This record gives sequence, C-alpha cells and structure tokens, in this order.
Amino acid sequence: MATMRVAAKKSPGLSAFKPLILALLLVFFLAATGYEAISSGIDYALVIGVFATRFLGIFVEAAPFLLLGSITAGLIEAFVKADDIWRLVPRNRLAATVMGAFLGLAFPVCECGVVPVTRRLFNKGLPVSLGVAFLLGAPFMNPIVFASTYIAFGFGPVFIGRIVITILVAVTVGLVIGTFAKPSATLKPLAQEQDHGHEHHAPASARAKLLHALQIAADEFFEMGRFLILGSALAALMQTLVPQESLLALGTGSVLSVLFMQVLAYILSVCSTVDSFLALAFVNTFTTGAIVSFLSFGPMVDIKSTLMFTGVFRPRIVLYLILLPFMLNLLAGVLLNLALGY
Amino acid sequence: MTTIHHHDAPPRKLRIAWAKTAILLGMGVYFSWLIISGNLSNYINQRFAWLAVVGAAIFILLALVNVYSNLQRADDDCHEHFQIGWDILLIVALPLILALLIPSRSLGIEAVNGGISLSPVGVASPSAFQRDPLDRNILDWLREFDRAASPAAFNGTAADVTGFVYREPAFAEDSFMISRFTMSCCVADAFPIGMPVSASDASHFEAGVWVRAQGELKAADFGGDVMPVLFADSIEAVDEPRQPYLYP
Repeated sequence: MATMRVAAKKSPGLSAFKPLILALLLVFFLAATGYEAISSGIDYALVIGVFATRFLGIFVEAAPFLLLGSITAGLIEAFVKADDIWRLVPRNRLAATVMGAFLGLAFPVCECGVVPVTRRLFNKGLPVSLGVAFLLGAPFMNPIVFASTYIAFGFGPVFIGRIVITILVAVTVGLVIGTFAKPSATLKPLAQEQDHGHEHHAPASARAKLLHALQIAADEFFEMGRFLILGSALAALMQTLVPQESLLALGTGSVLSVLFMQVLAYILSVCSTVDSFLALAFVNTFTTGAIVSFLSFGPMVDIKSTLMFTGVFRPRIVLYLILLPFMLNLLAGVLLNLALGY
Repeated sequence: MTTIHHHDAPPRKLRIAWAKTAILLGMGVYFSWLIISGNLSNYINQRFAWLAVVGAAIFILLALVNVYSNLQRADDDCHEHFQIGWDILLIVALPLILALLIPSRSLGIEAVNGGISLSPVGVASPSAFQRDPLDRNILDWLREFDRAASPAAFNGTAADVTGFVYREPAFAEDSFMISRFTMSCCVADAFPIGMPVSASDASHFEAGVWVRAQGELKAADFGGDVMPVLFADSIEAVDEPRQPYLYP
C-alpha cells in the first residue's frame, strides 16, 4: 500500500490543450448541425433554439449538484487530514473496495458531484480501488436515489437488480483498476498530489479554513464545470439531432435491447436522482434487463462524467472506466433477461 | 513550493481572478433571474425549483468570497493547485453567453424528434384518477385510456385540454394531435405525448400553435387503431401556459 503515496509531479503536456480541443470539437459539431439543418430545409434558428433550451436545461439542473459536490470537496480539502483517511480505510483491499461501493450512503452525491469529491479524497491518499468503487457506486448508492427508484418501480426485480448489479460492477471495476494499474499510471498529477506540503501552510483558525474551503470550491466549480458544460452541450446536441423513434425500433431482443439502453443512458446523461422516472417511459417497450442496465450503467458513466473523469484519471484509465462498466452491465443485463425468460 | 507563487505575473493572475468572480456572480444573477421571471419552468420541473435557489445562493456566496480574497490578495496562492486560463473561463461562461444571445423558450413542436407518443409516462398517484374529467390534462387522459378495458369506455365523456397542434402527413384533414411535453426532471427527459382531436375546423390551426380543445370523447379510428378521439366542438388559440410541461 505504500506505493499509493507517490511524489507529486507536474506535467503540463497535452492536458493544457484539452479544453481547447474539446471546444473546437463542439464548434465543429455545431457547424455540422447547422449544415445538416440548412441542407434539409429545417429552420436553423429553431434548431439552435431547441439546442439552447436543452443545453441550459441540463446545465441548470446539474449545476447545483456540482456546486454541492464542489463545496463538499472544499470542506474535505480544508478539514480532513490524510491521516484520518488512513485510519478509517480497511487494510484489506477487498474490504476497502466494498466499503467504497457503500460510501455513497455517507456522502450522498450524484454523478455530477461525485467526481470533485473523489478527486479530493484521492488527494488525501484514498486507495485507488476504494475511490473507483465510490465513483461508480455512489451516484446510485445513496438514500435519495433509492427513494426515487422505489417510488418508480416498487420493490421488485428492477429495484433489487439495480442494487446488486451496481455493487458488483463497482467492486469489480474498483478491484481491477486498483490491482492492475499503478497509482502513478492511474491518476492525473493533480489528483494524485499528496497534501504533505499543505499541513505546514494550512490556515489555522476555523474561519480561515472555511474561507479556504470556499475558495477551493470555486476553483473546483471551474475545473469540473468546464467538463460538465461541454458534456451538457454534447448531450443536448445528440438529443436534438438523433430521432428517438429510430432508436426505439431497436428495443427488442435480450441482447440488443440491453446494448441499446446502455448507449441511450450514456447519451442522455440524465441525473441519477430522476433517471428512474425516465426509465418508466421505456418499460413497455424494453426488456427488464435493459431497464436495469440503463439504471445501473447510466449513473456510473455518461457523456458529462466521462469528460469530468478526464480531469482526474489518465486517458487509458478513463477508457477502462467506460468499457469495463459497460461490458459488465451488459453481461448482467443479458443474464437477467435470460433468467426472466425473455 | 515557494517558486510556484511567482511564476505567473500578478496582473494577469488578478485579471483572471476578477473574470472568475464575474462569471460566478453572473451565474448567480442568471439563476436568480430564472427564478424571478418564471422562465425556470422552461428548463426544469417546478418540483426542483428549490435546487435553483440553492444554486443561486452558492454562486453568490462563492462570488463574494472571491471578491474578498481578490481584494485581500492574501498570500494564499500556494493552495491553488489549478491554474485557470482564459480557455476554461470561456467554456464556463458558455451558458451565460447562450442565455444572453438566445431568448428563453420552452420545448415546442420544433423539438419533436421522431413522433409523439400515445402512451402515458410515469406512475400516477391514485388521486390522479379521481380528478374531475374536465380538469384532466393530456397526461391524465392517456393514463385513463391506458387502464380502461375498451376505447369505448369514455364515449360521451366531456374533455377540455390544452396543448400544441401536431400533424403528420398521414393524418386526416380534419384531425391533429393535441400535444404536450412531459418532464420528470429537466428538459433532458422531456418526452412528447398527445391525444387525437377531430374537428371540422381542425385545418385552421397551424402546427405548433397552442390551442384549447373542448368536446366529447368517442372511440374512433385514428391511424389504423381504434382509440378514444376528442371530437371538439370548440378549438381556440391560446397563449402558451405559464408551465408549458406536464409533470408525471
């Protein structure tokens, strides 16, 4: 476990240009949208208007959650000591990872807030496997989302399936990444920077600490907010351009329906607190396995969280963080369908 | 650690710090304006309006903290792990730029992307089914249709609904669908639903126009299926409702 504490390294490299590249991509998409709209005779201004409404809607709904996550992150940075984490985390990796999957019950955060919180916890020396399990599990494993899922589906295969699959996938991916990837190859320098240096500089009084926490929160909002905003723009763009009906035609079949619903969850990027109500719209069209996979995969990874991940993890790990949950959820959804006899 | 303090020229750093403060304040003002003007209902379910209040309060709080620390210029810089540049400021300002340039609108007919659903969305509380027929909205009716034994169960029942006009080329001349978007959370999950309307003057109303249709329900053929159709005695153009979406 000693390898967790890695010396801080600064590597500006490509990461400095990433936001710019993403912004250019966005402009390219917008230009392509515009071209398609004009060439197919649709009013360009109307398409932009619909895009703006969808984009601002997703942003307005998600921003308060990101702010709450940023403030939690700031408070962790200012008040939690690295030693506290080391004292509380079990030494056994499996136990620590399982703890990570349930940590959302203590920190109720949705997928917009979980990334800054995880990043600051990593900064305090949280083991990678625990952090990854927390990152993937917390957006569903919290009281608010339990309640909304229960209200929408009652106590049945969807509710139980969602809990079981979320825990299994979060723990598996946490163990895989924690075991096979070196921390230095997992986390970006910023997230992996230890806070030894800060112990000396840390402001002493509670008031100064609180001020410090709020400054960190503001920085966190900008750093994570840029990914949230680009992700919201991409999700809004997809929703504006891709006809839902053409996607719904793919809804049957025990494998294809699961695959499709996971892609949909990724694209829609709906907040985990309300995705159950959205999933209800698909209950009549889709298999139960597909609904459960939609609900367990969606909160783990979607367009906006993928972009936020790039601020914490190295690119290769971000890829694993998308593909592993995708494959595991797909497998679980298909198995559930077979068990239920679709 | 000590060299980090000075490697950025102070004036540039201060300009960025003030730009950051301005964006935070702008966000706070934007959220407050959404709440006060009522335009918030174009974007999110009214049930979550308190979230926007929380958002506005935190934005303003963070802006004030930044004003304070900009003025203090305290020697706190070594805690800033992250150097914010103009590119990031521009991206984060994107929602404010769009909000300033494009008038706030709800999702209407232009946002219908691949047909309108005739099935209800979400779960209804039992009380939804005790509503007086004349108070039922489009979503309430679709729920009633969904659980009724036969489409003829509503023959002769009076209905009074408001929505926007939706047409497809296959629809008969004297019919359209009266439609609304449902919204559970925010516009990300907005979903268009509608019920068929038949009236002699149906063709007078352009697609996308908001109308109030009053009449009686009767089972009839619509697009090849027999379902309850609203035979409207009166259709009048109305303003868009203050809450344009239906909340499941």
